[in-house]
Amino acid sequence: MTNIVVLVKQVPDTYSERKLAAGDNTLDREAADAVLDEINERAIEEALVIKEANEGEVTVVCVGPDRANDAIRKALSMGADKAVHVSDEALHGADILQTSKVLAKAVGTVEGVDLIIAGNEASDGRGGAVPAVLAELLGLPQLTHARKVTVEGGTVKVERETADEGITHLEASLPALISVNEKINEPRYPSFKGIMAAKKKPVEKLTAADLGLDGEVGLANAASTVLESAPKPPREAGQRVDDEGDGGVKVAEYLASQKLI
Amino acid sequence: MSFVESDERKALRAAVFELATGYGHQYIARKARAGEHADELWAEAGKLGYLGVNLPEQYGGGGGGMAELATVLEELGAGGCPLLMMVVSPAICGTIINRFGTEEQRSRWLPGLADASTIMAFAITEPDAGSNSHRITTTARRDGDDWVLSGQKVFISGVDWADAVLVVSRTADAKTGKLKPALFIVPTDVPGFEYRPIEMDLVSVDRQFQVFLDEVRLPAEALVGSEDAALAQLFAGLNPERIMASAFALGIARYALDKAVTYANQRQVWGTAIGAHQGVSHPLAQLKIEIELAKLMTQKAAYLYDMGDDFGAGEAANMAKYAAAEASARTVDQAVQVHGGNGLASEYGLGTLIAASRVGRIAPVSREMILNFVAQNSLGLPKSY
Ligand SMILES: Cc1cc2nc3c(=O)[nH]c(=O)nc-3n(C[C@H](O)[C@H](O)[C@H](O)COP(=O)(O)OP(=O)(O)OC[C@H]3O[C@@H](n4cnc5c(N)ncnc54)[C@H](O)[C@@H]3O)c2cc1C
Repeated sequence: MTNIVVLVKQVPDTYSERKLAAGDNTLDREAADAVLDEINERAIEEALVIKEANEGEVTVVCVGPDRANDAIRKALSMGADKAVHVSDEALHGADILQTSKVLAKAVGTVEGVDLIIAGNEASDGRGGAVPAVLAELLGLPQLTHARKVTVEGGTVKVERETADEGITHLEASLPALISVNEKINEPRYPSFKGIMAAKKKPVEKLTAADLGLDGEVGLANAASTVLESAPKPPREAGQRVDDEGDGGVKVAEYLASQKLI
Repeated sequence: MSFVESDERKALRAAVFELATGYGHQYIARKARAGEHADELWAEAGKLGYLGVNLPEQYGGGGGGMAELATVLEELGAGGCPLLMMVVSPAICGTIINRFGTEEQRSRWLPGLADASTIMAFAITEPDAGSNSHRITTTARRDGDDWVLSGQKVFISGVDWADAVLVVSRTADAKTGKLKPALFIVPTDVPGFEYRPIEMDLVSVDRQFQVFLDEVRLPAEALVGSEDAALAQLFAGLNPERIMASAFALGIARYALDKAVTYANQRQVWGTAIGAHQGVSHPLAQLKIEIELAKLMTQKAAYLYDMGDDFGAGEAANMAKYAAAEASARTVDQAVQVHGGNGLASEYGLGTLIAASRVGRIAPVSREMILNFVAQNSLGLPKSY
């Protein structure tokens, strides 16, 4: 029996134009299509694989506005058993620390958690700190950037992969928190039965007050705020080299002028 | 019927579309050119329950209806992977066996059709009986408990891929001696059953075949349901066939429109995107409208059919098939035009659809026969034939 919590986040689709709201520099959620973050689909897949091998229950925990319900439904249709959805206007503009606090409280409402699985970073904020902060808050061992996970009895083993350090083998006793990278697996598509069953699965809705965090969260209480942002400058037209027998020389001259060779 | 789709329907759309785009049109084109089937996609979609959504749960199906099945085929097509055999295997054959088969036939065939591990083709067309199916000459005669089947069929899709073919034939009525239709499930490996591919200029993973039935001996239980129910069986298969033909055409149309719009936004010839020229944008806007209208009529037909209104569904299904077939032929045509030379370049995946986009105008029933139906039944005009 392994009871697993998977953290999921709804993010703007990476295929659509993503921007910050003009007023307060928070994410402009209306500007783009919202989808379940792909890394979370992989986290769910891993949870389902572990559940299928060891039995247990998979609970999805999500902090986000009401429409994040779609992301939760997708997770449930893939095969997760139930969900906890923290949705509250007061959370608007929450930073990484606050979000982690909310997640810690929300995970605390789930009984008998053996393993928490997160994506290593969301495709919108890309802070990548939530898994570590959450593990600290919950006092759990953290095994992050996993490209392979095995759960056996009371232990979890992870192949950790980062660009700087290469591959490290980690092991911890449960309960523990892991975060996965995009090499971990290929997420399944929801089956027709899964889609039809998702509607009947329980989703517990909670507010900041329900978690005892009233007045501590939101933009006004955030430890970090975005002061300004500017769009990426448009790509400038490249320099065209017409080959009149001296194309190679011209290209080399150009690269040298840019100090590239 | 609501104009707003349920959350489940939207989720099904999204999931199937994602699966199809994961494979992509290049997968289908490559398989078709190599003379192969879409085995991987068919198997994966089958395992996920997408190809048997219309069949009852007790036989392993999804317990949904034609509305769900049509949604699946439309989204596969919109994602670049139209699967013709969906029209035949789960829709026509699955429906007929489920509604008219004996309990034995249902438990023998439906679980395989539901998870798509079994494929069944459907054979009605003959060299001298296309639009006029009254002229079918394939005949079954009794020999003891057995049936012996002889005749010839043409343009039968997917025979090489199928485990069995649902064959429309005729038998002599025991009392009057007059010929009446009868449907038989014919496994493709029985003695006397042969098939030969027809060379088609169609880039498709589902090929068409000539089928020869030479004294094919079948056990009594090969006859679907009772001997007298064949006409009702054929009629029961018509609506699913037309609704699915609409979905097939709609998927192709949506795929082509999306390609055209993307290209019209990117391609610049006079310093501005070609989509800014109304000569380019207006035809695409018209097609968008035609596709949406055809989709609405398809949904209406599926809704009426799923409600059990076979008769009411008939008119809507015919109109939907007409509209969707026109939309697919016209959209692919326009999408090729918008792409200029690239419209015929393999890389852009449109040339492969030119023939496929016209299938809906011919099969399973031609545009003219639909217009005949509407002229006679909806308008009460006289018949010429
Ligand atoms: C890709 C493809 C797949 C197919 N798959 C299958 C399959 O799996 N199983 C199967 O049984 N069949 C299949 N068919 C056959 C298809 O159903 C027939 O081609 C179709 O019914 C038309 O019949 P026909 O080809 O004999 O044309 P005909 O009946 O010879 O018609 C020729 C032309 O005359 C027109 N016409 C005929 N009568 C009239 C009239 N009274 N008024 C006005 N116009 C008329 C028709 O509209 C058509 O334009 C397939 C065909 C194609 C192209």
